[in-house]
Formats: sequence, structure tokens, C-alpha cells
Amino acid sequence: MVDAAHAYLDARVSMMTRQLHDRHGLAQLAELTLPDLAQRLGLDTLLDPSQSLRSRSRAIEQALVHQLLAELQVLIRPLHGAERELILAWGRKYALYNLKTLLRGKLHAFEAETIAAQLFELPAPIRLPIRTLFRAEGVDELLRQLETGPYRQIARQAREVYARQREPFALEAAIDQHYYLDLAHHARAFGAPHGNALRRLIGAMLDRVDLLWLLRFRLCYGLSPSATFYWLVPSTGLLGRERLLHLVALEGLEAVLGTLPEPLAGRLAGSDDIAEVQRRVNAHSAATARASLAYADSAPARALAYLMLRETELLGLFAIVQGRLLGLAQHTIDAALEHVPSGCTWRAAVVDRSETD
Amino acid sequence: MLAPTAMKHVRLLVLTEDLPATSLALAATGHFHPDPRAPAEARLGTAPAHHYRHHHDRARQRLDKLAELLDLALAQHVDRPRVIEPESLAALDHWLGELWQTASTHAEGLRLLDDEARLVAEHQAALANFAALDIDLAVLRNNTRFLDIHVGMVPRENLARLGGALGLAHYLVHVYMQRGDQTHVVIVGPSDAAPESLPQVLAAAGFQALPIPIELDREPARVRQQLETRSADIAHRRAALERELADWGADHRAQLLAAQQTLLLAAPLVALDPALRASGPLAHLAGWVPAGGVDDLADQLRQTLSHPFDLSVRDPRPDERRLVPTVLTRNRLLAPFATLVGQYGIPEYGEVDPTPLFAVTFLLMFGSMFGDLGQGAVIALAAWLLRRRLGRFWPFGLLAGLSSMAFGVVFGSVFGNEHLIPALWMSPLTDPLRMLTLALLWGVGFITLACTLAIYNRVAVGRWRDAVLGHHGAVNLVFYLALVGAGVGLAENGALAPWPATIAGLALATLAWASWREQQGPVIERALVVFIATLETVIGYVSNTLSFLRVAAFGLNHVALAIAVYTLAGMLGEVGHLITLVLGNLFIIVLEGGIVMIQVMRLQYYEGFSRYFSGDGHAFAPLRLPRD
Repeated sequence: MVDAAHAYLDARVSMMTRQLHDRHGLAQLAELTLPDLAQRLGLDTLLDPSQSLRSRSRAIEQALVHQLLAELQVLIRPLHGAERELILAWGRKYALYNLKTLLRGKLHAFEAETIAAQLFELPAPIRLPIRTLFRAEGVDELLRQLETGPYRQIARQAREVYARQREPFALEAAIDQHYYLDLAHHARAFGAPHGNALRRLIGAMLDRVDLLWLLRFRLCYGLSPSATFYWLVPSTGLLGRERLLHLVALEGLEAVLGTLPEPLAGRLAGSDDIAEVQRRVNAHSAATARASLAYADSAPARALAYLMLRETELLGLFAIVQGRLLGLAQHTIDAALEHVPSGCTWRAAVVDRSETD
Repeated sequence: MLAPTAMKHVRLLVLTEDLPATSLALAATGHFHPDPRAPAEARLGTAPAHHYRHHHDRARQRLDKLAELLDLALAQHVDRPRVIEPESLAALDHWLGELWQTASTHAEGLRLLDDEARLVAEHQAALANFAALDIDLAVLRNNTRFLDIHVGMVPRENLARLGGALGLAHYLVHVYMQRGDQTHVVIVGPSDAAPESLPQVLAAAGFQALPIPIELDREPARVRQQLETRSADIAHRRAALERELADWGADHRAQLLAAQQTLLLAAPLVALDPALRASGPLAHLAGWVPAGGVDDLADQLRQTLSHPFDLSVRDPRPDERRLVPTVLTRNRLLAPFATLVGQYGIPEYGEVDPTPLFAVTFLLMFGSMFGDLGQGAVIALAAWLLRRRLGRFWPFGLLAGLSSMAFGVVFGSVFGNEHLIPALWMSPLTDPLRMLTLALLWGVGFITLACTLAIYNRVAVGRWRDAVLGHHGAVNLVFYLALVGAGVGLAENGALAPWPATIAGLALATLAWASWREQQGPVIERALVVFIATLETVIGYVSNTLSFLRVAAFGLNHVALAIAVYTLAGMLGEVGHLITLVLGNLFIIVLEGGIVMIQVMRLQYYEGFSRYFSGDGHAFAPLRLPRD
């Protein structure tokens, strides 16, 4: 039973939930042609021949993110204090995408217009001081500028890491790590009545991120257990500190998957590559969000679950649009939507090629 | 005064090389509002000022950063107009880039010295801690055959993850001191099993080594002295660097001020960039100019440009009406009222500028609702005394105060006392019914005027059907006036006057018919919508007219509040009497004055603007050179 203070938010979330597509609905959209998609989604930009493919794709992405953040603003309106801060902390990822775009732009000395075209329009509570940051003529100067504002913690850490290691990986990893640490910190601070639901939700998200980072850092980049552990964020869900300490010391995909706790172990059993792990762990995370949306007693947790699912859906829509714009094969689009096992797309591609030959 | 300024559309073809001079000439007139639409000719496809803008924007950013760093106040006006050619702008941008490189190196040097000073302070704290311990510090200083030892500090937020990460490599992290957001640690691990990634992990965690000097065991005072000397040296170097930066800034001051002039003079062409198109040496730009300024513009171009140019002028086409900017009232007294109108929206081109009407009706209503010679004088005096702080809003306070004073004379009220001066007319409380009747008549007049303006505005922009049948159009006005006539008959004779009632009925039927024709869908749905819309029309006009009763109600309320204050004061002694009168009047001025202002704004926005004013226009914003 949702508390009276959040009855409005709860009703809002329930209303918004109706617009979410289920897996079947998204699969149907994935089969539409570009004109049908444009009509169904009300995205006329898709068919504008005067724009390049890149600008059309960019405009669609902007529109979808704008939609998501507009809904975020609606949902934070009745919230105050820590609950509002948590939802904003989640939405801040888009500010960090902007920050990374700026950093990459400065690293590669792109023109201001090129960088500006790739930035998301953000609502005031999570907006970066773009005008000031644009004035910077290098990464160090940009991070120094950012240190004077609300992102100073992230900026200071990122600048120190960049100053020592001078490589974009460490810089972006530091930014991502701080984002998730901040979320975990917010989630841990909650008591009853929202604490459990929020920790479960954020925990599922952090479990997903930790597992994928762990596998990539250890198996793809060859980082040591110590270095890998340092970049991970102890989760409020299944992969807490002790579990991560144990997992990073293991060698090989099978060993890691075999040591995971349930229900992750069951879901991921038999995965033979990281792409398949990603597909399944994403599904697990989405299932947790759907369960929270349907059954959680906490309206803020339901709101966050809705936003997570909506984001996944909008990313799916973007993948469909992008696929259609680029004229990609249906199986590639299905793979991007993670509707089929990761190996299938390559097998389908091979079949396609052999049929063409 | 209510009629909008007529505008012309101008199209100018000039040589691309003349663009800087053209922009300056256009800015000098203050008549040219750029039209960013692309020309019909597809050949005019390139953006000739793109590089100019790029250099300007970057140079502007660099100059602003330099001014901030050097604490340099940049003038915001142009001293002497001159043409800024693209080459000189590019050279300026480059020069400012070099200057910023030097300046930012200085600034970074200052920050590094600050970091070094912090590190020394941490070091001093750490050594003070070690000096008090009874241990052999040599052990911590040197890596042994078996142990790899690191002494230093790490940000507190990274400690737990660093501890876990190093634990995996069989290292121990021992915390021995906390200072602010830094944690001082000793990290110890097996020498033979030190992982290759250890430096990487320590760097990622922000670990800073604080080595223990050899002499700490034997000569701690000397070590302390060394650190103090180092600290003093940092302070000395910092002061020297600051002086160097200040001297460097002083050397470049004149050039930086000149750079500001250059950028101000380049700004008009940058502002024109979105409206510029070119094909080879020919550039095209278009814009909107007040009809009275066209000749001045042409003269200015003739005087400035050395090469031929082509200027064509035409009236705005009907399909362009929404694109034409509106010239707003620039009268100094009306400026604050124009700002309040702007809060609602900008009149569309062709619509009546409501500012003068708004000012007059606002002052009449405010004065009649808050009529008092003394309190009005306080408001006017306060606005005058605070004119610097109120900026362009001070005439608003002054006029409101004067209006209140004028009505105070009419009502014979001075600080709520109605016996000090004779009323020119009467006190509101003498005949409340007459006040309410007058308020109703004022309301009828106000709504009639608003509807008339609505009709005029629609006719002016060619929306004839809306002018006749639309909301607050001619048929609505006929209905309203007939309804008022019928109402007057009912009040005076106890029965509806037949002719007005018949006209009102016919007008209402016409509105219902128009609404019926606009609806689509099943008959029942259309009938329901038409019924509700018609009912809303009747209820709306009646309630909107009654809404003006508040004008009288607040006038009466003002007197009643004053009576209450005087009654309270009368119950106290001399001092109490005086204090109560002063505080009571202050209370009335601040609280009731504020409420009356809100109520008048509400009447203006809701009963006035919403009827005749779309607010969908955009303001005339010409290119200008910032001058004194």
C-alpha cells in the first residue's frame, strides 16, 4: 500500500506505465518500415530528405531523450528531499554523457558546433554549465572549470586520474564509477518505507554494471584482480563488496558465472560469451524493474523503475529507427533489441551471406 | 499611440567583401532586424560569415577568460566605429589564444602551488604524528627485503575500495590519521608479490606519497624547520607568481581593451550570420525595418559602402505577418508597464499595442481601490527614493502613488483619516451601493473596450470570421451589450426589456449556429458541445462583469481597514495611539497595497488581455552598436 504522501506520484506512475510497450509490442515495432515508424511514433524528422542520415538519427535520439527527461521532470515534481535527489542522481547520467562528449571533443579538438550538435538538451536540475565549459581549451581546463560547480567531486577525481594517467579510459571510468557510487550512496541512505525497494532496484542495476565491467576488465582488458576491484562499485543487491572480492580473483568466464549467487547464476548459466551475459543480465535487471513497478509499496521506487524501463524502451526504439535508417538486416535489429541470443545474429548473417552468394 | 509601427521588408545584395562594413552601417542605424529565412535563389547557399563568427566566438571566450583572470573591467560600449576585416579578427583570435596559453600556465602554476602547499601541510601533520611515536621510523622509510611499504594519503571516499583492491594482492592498508577529506595511511605488502598494477591502482585511488625524511629520528626540529622553510618558499613563489601575472596583465591591458573594442565592432556581423547567404562574391541578407527608417538605412549604406549594392523594399505579405517583429513602446514612463505587458506576451504585428491602455486603466483601478493622499504619497516617495534600486520600475511606483493620492483627494482620505481634508466627491463608505454600481459600469465599459479591441485586432490581421463570430468578436459584443441592456431593464422595472432580450437571444443563437458548424462528430456530441459552449458564453460574460465589483469592494475595504486601525488606536494612550497609527498605515500600504496590485493585474490579464491580445508576436530587436 503506497503512503498517502505519494498517492499522486503513484497515480502518475500508473498512468505513465500504460504507455510502456511489452516485449511483443516492441518486436512488432521492429518490423515496421521507416514511413510506418515515423507515423506511429510521430517522428516526422525520420522522413526529412533534406537532412543527412546522421542528423536525422541525432534528431531522433535527442527527441527520445528529451521525452524521457520530460517524464522525469513530471515525476520529480511531487518529490522532495532524498527521494527527489535519488531520481535526479539517476537522471544525471545524461549530464555525464554530455560531459564525456565535451571531454572527447576537447581531446580531439573538435569544433564547438560539432560538439554542441552532439549534446543533449537537459532540464535545469541536472544541466551542466555548458557555456562555461565550452570556453575551456583543453581537458584539464574543462575539469578545472567543472570543479567550481556541483560536479566538483567527479571533476576533481577525474582530473587527478587524467593528470596521472593521461588516458581517456581512466578519465571516463572515473566519471562512470562516481556516477554509480553516488547512486549506491543515495540508495544506502534510505530507511523504511522506501529503502528496501530502492536498494533492490538500484542493486539490480549495479549487479548488471559490476558483472559486465568485471568480465570486460578481467577478460578483455586483462586488468589484475586488484585494478578490476578498484573500478567496481559494491552493489546494494547481490554483488556486494565481499562477493566482488571473491569474483575478481577468479579466472575465466565459466568460473565467474559458476560462482554467481542465485538468481543470477540460473539466468546466466550456459552463456558462452560476454555479449550473451549482457543480454541475459539486462533481461534480469529489466525483470527486477518490472516487478518493482508492479508490486513495490514505494511510489519513488515505482517511479524509478518506470524511468528505467522507459529508458530501455526508448533505447530500443532508437535501435529500431537507427537500424531502419541505415538499412540494416532484421536479425541485426533483433539482436540490438536483445530479443535473440547474441550468437544468432552472426549465424543469421552467415546464412544471409551464403544465400546471397 | 495605440497603432503599431508600420514595417517594411528589405532585401540587400552586397559584395561579400563589403559585409563587415555593411553590418556596421546597419547597426549604426539601429533600424535593421535580421530575417533568417533562406532566399528563394538556391545558388545563394553558402554562409559567408561562418569563419568570421568562429573567430569572433573563440576570441570572445578567450578575452572573457583573460578579463576574469586579470580582474579587468571591459567596456561595453564602442568608442569609435571602424570596420573589422576577417583577417584582423583571425589575427586577434590567434593572439588572444597565445595570451591565454601564457595566462593559463600562470593560473595553473598558482593552483599547483596551492596543491603543493596543501601537501606540505599534510606532510607536517603526518610527521608530527610520527615524531610522537616510539618506533623506528627507518623501517617505514625503506622497503625491506620482505616488505614493500608506502606511506601517504588517499581521499577518504576511495579508502574502502583501495583497501579491498590491495587486499587482493595481500597488502594491508593501515589508517593512522584523518584530516579533512584525506586519510593518512601506511600500505604494507610482500616485496616479492607486489603486483604490476599496484602503481596504477594507487594512482586511480588518488594516493599521494608522503615520504619520511631520514633525519626525523635524530633531528625532528630540523625536519620541521625544513618543512616550514618549504612552506614559506611556496608562499613566496606564489606571491612572486601573482606579481608576475599582475605585471603581465598590466603590460597587456591597453591591448586587451582594444581587443574588446574590436570584438564589439565585429559583433553585428556575427549577429547577422544566420541571415546571410552568398554565392561567390555576392552576399544576400534580408530583414525588417520600420517604414520611417528605410531612407535613413539607404543613406547610411550609400555613405559607408564603396562598392555598388542593391536594396529592395516591400510591404510584408499577409503570409509573413507572424514573422514581422513588433516595435514596442519606448516611452520612459510607460517602460515598466511595457515590461508587465511583456510578461503576458508580445503583440503580434498589426495588433494594438496595449501598453498605453494598460497603463491608464491600471492606474485608474489602483487609485480607486487604494485612494489615500498620505499613503499614496508614501508609495510615490518610496519609489522616488529607491529609484536606483528599482531601476526602470520606479516610474511604476511613482505613478501608482500619484494615482492613489489623486483618488485620496476625491475620497477625502489622508492616512485613513477622513476628517483632515474635505472629500472632492465622497468617501466610498458613504454610499457603498453607488460605488458597486459604478464598479459594474466600469466593468461593462472595460469589457466592451476589450471586445472592441479584439475585433479591431482580428480585422487588422485579416481574420474576418473570428472578428465577427469568434470569441469576443462582434456577435459576442452585441450579445453582451444586449444582455447588459436586458439586465438594466430587469433591475429598474423588474422585467426583461423586450428588445435587448430579443437581440441577446438572436446573437446567442448565431453563436450557437457558428459553434454547431465548427463541430464534427455525432449529433448528440455536437449538440452537447454547442449547449455547453453557449452556456459558458452567458455565464462567462455575467461572471466577468461581476468580477469588477472587486474594484469597489477594495475601495470599501480600504476605508474599513483604516477605521479598524483608528478604533484600535483610540483605545490606547498617546504613544500607543501614535505607534498603532504608524504601524497600521504601514500594514495597509504593504499588505493591502500588494493585494490591490495583484487584483488589478488579474483584471488586466484575465478580463483584458485574454480577450484582445494574442501575445504571439516577437519584439523588434535591431542590430545595434553598443554606444554610451
